[in-house]
Amino acid sequence: MRKAVVIAFILASNLSFSQNYKFGKVSKEELKEKSYAEDPEANAAVLFKKEVIAYEYRQGDGFRQVREVQERIKIYNKDGFDWATKKVRLYDRSSTKSEDFLNLSAYTYTLEEGKIKKTKIKKESVFEEKNNKYWATKSFTMPNVKEGCVIEFRYRIESPYIQIDDIDLQYTIPIKKLDVEVKIPEFFVFNKQQNPKAIYFPKIEDTKVNRKETLTGKSRSVGSWGRVKSTRDYSDWEFKEFKTVVDETNVPALKKESFVRELDIYRAKLIWEYAAYNSPNNGIKNYSTNWEQVSKTINESESFGGQLEKTKYFESDVNALLEGIDDPTKRVALIYDFVRSKIKWNKYVGYRVNDGVKKAYKDRVGNVAEINLMLVAMLRYAGLNASPVLLSTRSNGIPLFPTTSGFNYVIAAIEVPDDVILLDGVNTYGASNILLEKTINWQGRIVRKQGSSAWIDLTPRKKSKSISLMNVSIADDLSISGKIKKHLTDYLALDYRERYYDSKNESMVSNHEKDKGDIEITNLDVKNKKELSKPINYTYDFKLDNAIEEIGDKLYMSPLLFLASEENPFKEENRIYPIDFIYPTYRKYAINLKIPEGYVVESLPENTKVQFNGTEGEFFYIVKAQGETIQVSVVMDLNKTLILPEEYLEFKRFFELSHEKQTEKIVLKKT
Amino acid sequence: MQIKTSLSIAFILIFLTTYSQEKLLALTIDEGLKENANAVVRLDDNLIEVKAHNRFTYTNKRIITILNKAGNSDIGAAVHYDDNINIRKLEAVIYNAFGKEIKKIKKKDFEDVSAVPGGTLYSDSRMKYLSYTPINYPYTVVMEKEIEYKSTAFIPGWRPVVGFYVSTENASYKIVNTSGVDLKVKTTNFENYDIEKIGEHDYLAKNMKAMKGEAYAPAFKSYAPFLRVALAKFTMEGVDGVNTNWSDFGKWMNDELVADTQELPEAVKDEVKSLTANETTDIEKAKLIYKYVQDKTRYISVQVGIGGWKPMLASDVDRLGYGDCKALTNYTKALLDEVNVESYYTVVYGGNNLRSIDKEFSAIEGNHVILAIPNEKDYVWLECTSQTSPFGYNANFTDDRDALVITPEGGKIIHTKVYETKGNLQTTNANVKLDEHGDISAQVQIESKGTQYGHYTRIEDEDEKGKRLYYKEYFDNINNLEVLAIAFDNNKDDIIFTENVEVAASKYASKGGNRILFAPNMFNRETYVPPRYKNRKMDFEIDRGYMDVDEYEIALPETMEIEALMTPVSINNEFGEYTASIEKKSDNLLVYKRTLIMNKGQYKKEDYSKFRDFHLKIVKHDKSKIALKSTN
Repeated sequence: MRKAVVIAFILASNLSFSQNYKFGKVSKEELKEKSYAEDPEANAAVLFKKEVIAYEYRQGDGFRQVREVQERIKIYNKDGFDWATKKVRLYDRSSTKSEDFLNLSAYTYTLEEGKIKKTKIKKESVFEEKNNKYWATKSFTMPNVKEGCVIEFRYRIESPYIQIDDIDLQYTIPIKKLDVEVKIPEFFVFNKQQNPKAIYFPKIEDTKVNRKETLTGKSRSVGSWGRVKSTRDYSDWEFKEFKTVVDETNVPALKKESFVRELDIYRAKLIWEYAAYNSPNNGIKNYSTNWEQVSKTINESESFGGQLEKTKYFESDVNALLEGIDDPTKRVALIYDFVRSKIKWNKYVGYRVNDGVKKAYKDRVGNVAEINLMLVAMLRYAGLNASPVLLSTRSNGIPLFPTTSGFNYVIAAIEVPDDVILLDGVNTYGASNILLEKTINWQGRIVRKQGSSAWIDLTPRKKSKSISLMNVSIADDLSISGKIKKHLTDYLALDYRERYYDSKNESMVSNHEKDKGDIEITNLDVKNKKELSKPINYTYDFKLDNAIEEIGDKLYMSPLLFLASEENPFKEENRIYPIDFIYPTYRKYAINLKIPEGYVVESLPENTKVQFNGTEGEFFYIVKAQGETIQVSVVMDLNKTLILPEEYLEFKRFFELSHEKQTEKIVLKKT
Repeated sequence: MQIKTSLSIAFILIFLTTYSQEKLLALTIDEGLKENANAVVRLDDNLIEVKAHNRFTYTNKRIITILNKAGNSDIGAAVHYDDNINIRKLEAVIYNAFGKEIKKIKKKDFEDVSAVPGGTLYSDSRMKYLSYTPINYPYTVVMEKEIEYKSTAFIPGWRPVVGFYVSTENASYKIVNTSGVDLKVKTTNFENYDIEKIGEHDYLAKNMKAMKGEAYAPAFKSYAPFLRVALAKFTMEGVDGVNTNWSDFGKWMNDELVADTQELPEAVKDEVKSLTANETTDIEKAKLIYKYVQDKTRYISVQVGIGGWKPMLASDVDRLGYGDCKALTNYTKALLDEVNVESYYTVVYGGNNLRSIDKEFSAIEGNHVILAIPNEKDYVWLECTSQTSPFGYNANFTDDRDALVITPEGGKIIHTKVYETKGNLQTTNANVKLDEHGDISAQVQIESKGTQYGHYTRIEDEDEKGKRLYYKEYFDNINNLEVLAIAFDNNKDDIIFTENVEVAASKYASKGGNRILFAPNMFNRETYVPPRYKNRKMDFEIDRGYMDVDEYEIALPETMEIEALMTPVSINNEFGEYTASIEKKSDNLLVYKRTLIMNKGQYKKEDYSKFRDFHLKIVKHDKSKIALKSTN
């Protein structure tokens, strides 16, 4: 049965007109096309993309990376016009270490009175902009772009660098035919992998092919980076190449979705890591083999491990700081706060120091490595079992291959019996085991003093708590007055500090009033705002109007008042990508409501328990009337932090039910 | 849509040879100046020396103390430059709170980056800025710069109050004009502040307290002090001009920037002539030309040529099919000229804020260009950068503001179209069926006109998933909303956007014992409440009026009876009108009607709490509920 379908499909596709993807061979059929069959909503589609990466050999210069790109793009409507402008980023360090953008050829094809019209791009539509010290942008925009047109361009980038940039295999519009070819001389050993977070994985074929270079007048004695030392002779130089091919049709568009901050992390792409240089003469020089080796390489480098050895520059300050303090917990806290107040982060990420710890200490400014390696060195100096932890930030992807560039960040860890305490000196408002969201990415590699290393989990396991106690009474005019006590721990406390650390009371009050209706907040009192290792505790009094409905002789009110959002944030019917809450949470609301004089309870919501995947998410709603008061207790306990697309519907349902419950009304009746 | 101007940068230049060490001490700042302030400008001395009609220098010394993190953006240590601007001196020294030097930054240590504004593909403007990581607060930055300009069309003016949350201890501004060219200076709002005039063009400002931003406040420029300056004879990148009033300045723009750019290829001339051959009125012809331009071109911003002020040649736009606001407007004008329809290149400030060109003071102004077509006593305004906008529609971007209309005879200041309150109408009609479980299903029709037309047409561009999500957000008061069908009608001739949406939701009505409770206002519920101010400082305004009319027919379940209905509401005040009522057509059919009018207007700060109260009432009544009781 299955076979028959395949055969039928092949026949059908053979019957349709054959596409000619040669540059310049744009067909009338392509110009007449009104929409993309597989994705009719697409504003544009890449009809053909070809990307060839190879290393050209030039005598005397050695190998040079050449990237040739050709694209044919169909623009269906005005919303697709953005695709008629292309920007290419080029690394541009200096005249000898720059990437060159060459041989641009580009045309717009339109159908005018039944005939194909071809408009060539001219210099006036090509721009180059030097962005800063390191980067330049080449851009071009196509002439005569109209709805229905097809644009086609090709260009070439020559690079003095061996490392291959990630190759995008997916756009935000569909790609009809994708052709990628990468040919790497056997001397350059690469690891490669597809983005594991992608939802589309094209087929990849690897082969080994022969290559021959004829060397005229030069010998084939090859030095480092494939550079040839010259002696007089003529010969053929034969070697192998690794060839990687992607040949796909109908690559689906990468679609945007809510709760996804960076769409790019889900893009299908081929990620390359330069792993080793296999010199024809001098054997293999490894850049990375396994994680143990990578950690060792990093640790042995001056810009990492070397920085941990230095202590002189801080000794007298740290001695003074720790004078008379023996308790290790206190010593850790003192050093952590000292580093954070002393050295400010200059926004540069990396696990290697830039100016070195000494200079950073003196200037009081440093990059991630300077701050956190200094932190480790001080902790060790104070007698603690501290080590650096290498990690990859969320936007850098998860560390896939054993390579030094798989990491881009470093934090500090203290190993104590049965536990590891993580500290990040860059995290201004953080505390022990409270990291910046961008650094909570799967696992990190701890590199111990002796040089051994191991994976440690970065995902927060401990629940961040939010506990609210609210006492409420209702006046004769149906206005509500009450008092709230709130307790926030861990990441929820961090959230609060990030918002309000520097805020004055007055602006905090107006922020707390936001979205709570007709409310007036007084006596806001926040405890531990600046004591980062403690939970946040705050209290305030409020007066709230228009929160009770009087209909007939009855009063209707949601006992949670403004504590529950009226809106379910999960509105999509299905999802492509997961939702990541990052850390588990436990939220509890306990409400004591005084029944106003002259009223009795007419009805109360039913007690309820809702679950998601067993105990991965639990919601409890308990209400009881006792004498003059109604007590409501609501718990939202979320253990699961990553909601996969296939779990989404059930999760959404869980949220819907709990939301519904939170908005249910208590009904009071006049006696 | 941006025009590059050297003035668009929010910083001021300074001059001073000596300053007291005291200015470096953050500790000595007066308490009054610290109130509401993230930064305090301790000293800001500006000297403009106009040497000739084509040369001036700008010398600035500025000492600013940054009090907290939020103040970092007020350092103002950025200088834009291009081929006509030479930065002769640029340096900064950072001091800690006790006046001790911590860092010195020389000109070469400033970051040098291209200054291409967002949405622009290319511009030749660049920027040097100070990149500094603060170690502690407060800290003080002393900046000195000296800049030489060969273009004199933009001369830095003066803003002694830089913006919200910044106070100024001491600032001065002086112009020395040795060029022999007449100089125009205009000061605005100086009378309300402690600003002293010391000499002819010499001012001193002291102790200007930081202002706090407030919701609905009028534009900063309407109350903050500022000074503007222009030369009667100037040069813009080598092109000389005169500027004594809008008329001759506009004439210059016409002759030097626009006039010689409009030549069109013969084929296009013939094409548009035959295209419009059957039309008799100018407006009908203009409609066809506008459509022609919309179909042929797209917006691409490339800023080169005379400071970014000269449009690309019309023939280039014709050939390339793209251009920026100047290019596309100029091209449209050239086509209209060809079919003998009069139109004028018009400079304006584009944006949602109603920002006018100053009719009393001619100078290079504006950041956008549109086209004006005279139509009887009025004008039709064309937004030439849009491929989708209806003909003559300029709401929310260039409406209701003074614009510079450039005619061959000279410049004129003309007020653009005002979209009147009742024309900005949204009508929502719905047929709703409610069942005994509280579930609803409904057919909703939303019709939008005037400014409201522009708010809703963008949904058309969303994909199916995006559209469904849009309605779930738009009707966010209805949980569990399902969107069953969506259809739009975008009537560009009458400028009406109609949405027809079929929705359903389970448990819209909430349960309370054997009753169900629901708000009849399902599809247009106001939830926004303006923030509360203990002590409102500024007057306020509603810049555009609008009107919403709603009517929903609600069929009730047979098994339930009405227990309580809401009482009709009618509120009428200077801010607007609100009425809501429910009519019982039969035992099982209700009709909910609601009207909301918000008036455009300017109001006194004392009335702010009344305004807020009006909103609170709307929010309250919009969620009023009806109770039904089971008859079983």
